Amino acid sequence: MVEQLKRLRTGIAGLDALLKGGLVIGSSYIVQGHPGSGKTILANQLACNHVRDGGRVLVATLLSESHERLFQYLSTLSFFDREMVGDTLQFLSAFDTLEQDGLDAVVRLLREEIARHHASLLIVDGLLNARAQAATPIDTKKFVSELQGHAAFAGCTVLLLTSSRLEEGSPEHTMVDGVIELSEQMAGNAAVRHVHLRKTRGSAALSGRHECLIGEDGLQVFPRLEALYSRPTQLGSQVLEKVGTGVPDLDRMLGGGLAQGSVTLLMGPSGVGKTALGIAFLAASSRESPGLHFGFYETPTRLRLKAQALGLGIDELERSGAVQLCWQPTTEGLLDQVGARLLEQVQASGARRVVIDSLGAFGRLAQDPARLNAFFRALTGELRARDVTVLLTWEMRDIFGAEITAPAPDLSSLVDNLVLMRLAELDACVHRVLSVIKVRDSDHDPSLQSLTLSPQGIRLGRAFEGAAGVLSGTAVQQDDR
Amino acid sequence: MNTILVVDDEYLIADILGFALEDAGFLVLKASNGTSALEALRDRHVDLVITDYMMPRQNGEELAQAIRNDVRLVHLPVVLMSGAQAGRGRDSPMLFAAVFDKPFDIDRMIAKVRELLGT
Repeated sequence: MVEQLKRLRTGIAGLDALLKGGLVIGSSYIVQGHPGSGKTILANQLACNHVRDGGRVLVATLLSESHERLFQYLSTLSFFDREMVGDTLQFLSAFDTLEQDGLDAVVRLLREEIARHHASLLIVDGLLNARAQAATPIDTKKFVSELQGHAAFAGCTVLLLTSSRLEEGSPEHTMVDGVIELSEQMAGNAAVRHVHLRKTRGSAALSGRHECLIGEDGLQVFPRLEALYSRPTQLGSQVLEKVGTGVPDLDRMLGGGLAQGSVTLLMGPSGVGKTALGIAFLAASSRESPGLHFGFYETPTRLRLKAQALGLGIDELERSGAVQLCWQPTTEGLLDQVGARLLEQVQASGARRVVIDSLGAFGRLAQDPARLNAFFRALTGELRARDVTVLLTWEMRDIFGAEITAPAPDLSSLVDNLVLMRLAELDACVHRVLSVIKVRDSDHDPSLQSLTLSPQGIRLGRAFEGAAGVLSGTAVQQDDR
Repeated sequence: MNTILVVDDEYLIADILGFALEDAGFLVLKASNGTSALEALRDRHVDLVITDYMMPRQNGEELAQAIRNDVRLVHLPVVLMSGAQAGRGRDSPMLFAAVFDKPFDIDRMIAKVRELLGT
């Protein structure tokens, strides 16, 4: 059996996920990044969380910065508690020792202080100053090696902070067990932060760059969904059951409903009735099979009004906890942050049917559109694995027209069922049209249906018999051609 | 001329306070932790100690305790300057003649030093 290394939880949920549980106890890590990239916040947040977990932390600086300024700055962040300082969280300056007596004296000082405070985590800020003080690269290597040797002997984990981006072959990199890089880059006028685990010796970790945010709660890391859920966390139900859409006519077309744990994409232009079908799907929720609406455009109030207009009051379902409406404005959030929020909501509400309105909003949040396919694949894969039946909407750009564009390449391969909705002009009237294009592993009714929305509900009916070109938006009676 | 010992591991704070005390007419000695402060107190005559709390090897409270335990130093006034542990200093009036929260007004510190020394 493979032995599991003991971990020091960072308390930063996303970072612990990247590190597969946290830092390896007794190991040493470099945290590198330009000034302002968030190293100090990460280190102090980790320090405070570790103290809350019962640990003891020693923060030593090789820089000339005042601790008091640091405390003032940290006091604006929710994780920082001044009461910890001086007891379980010790700060000391080794700048003078470094200047006056050199690297060996700093190692001696820190070794003594680790023992004196029984520190289980040592944070050393200003690795670059140690390098500047070293006569040769071997001296730097010796400094890092001795420091981590003494710390490991005491069961103390070490974080070395540096504002320089050290090269992979640098003495520091070769000595430490892990390298965590923080960076910031501009995307238009917005600054986007990333965390990147560049090295994790003897430990599995989620590779690549991951988005992060700094707010008043400190650093939040959002692992790339496709890395976090490269394999679904659950096996999913082995029993194939049908889930009603809330529209009996549609259930009939689908051969009895949607397969439980399947993903269905509703594609159509604005105003065609996608949200209405989503509401009907939700209105079929129950306390045993709760529903979640994860929407970007319609506020909960508007959704309730729309539901009322369709004779599908969802207020009572909301009150009983059978339905939750979660609104996510498209003006804020990172792709993985919003993906994680969706999965958290599903987990928290126990939702078994989810409406995501719409998929296109995720695309607007993506800094790198090339990721979208892998992102959707991971998201839908995880929802399937949790036995959640999903209704996705995708707004097509053209209200009328023959061109049909998918939100991401190969999207149809990600979904189990595909329903196409169009507005079609026929006999000087605009009709809503619905057709089931694909149902995985099941027969379905491929006919074109007219869709009627009224206070009596949603109805489908055979229409356009004798007409052609309906899905192109401009139907013509075949007799007229 | 009275001699003040300033003890702080942050050399910038020790320097800034030291310059201000020198300008005010005091002779200033400096130490970066409690252990080296005690060595200085045993070698030199000092009239008052101003110490930080959090320092390597020996903290401000341990230094003040060592001073109170030394018959030659027992009456030496000790002023604590601290950020997070000021409350702890105020809870120990036998150890500290005055407690200042960082950041503090240097003129107020100098006035307190004069008051404690009766100058």
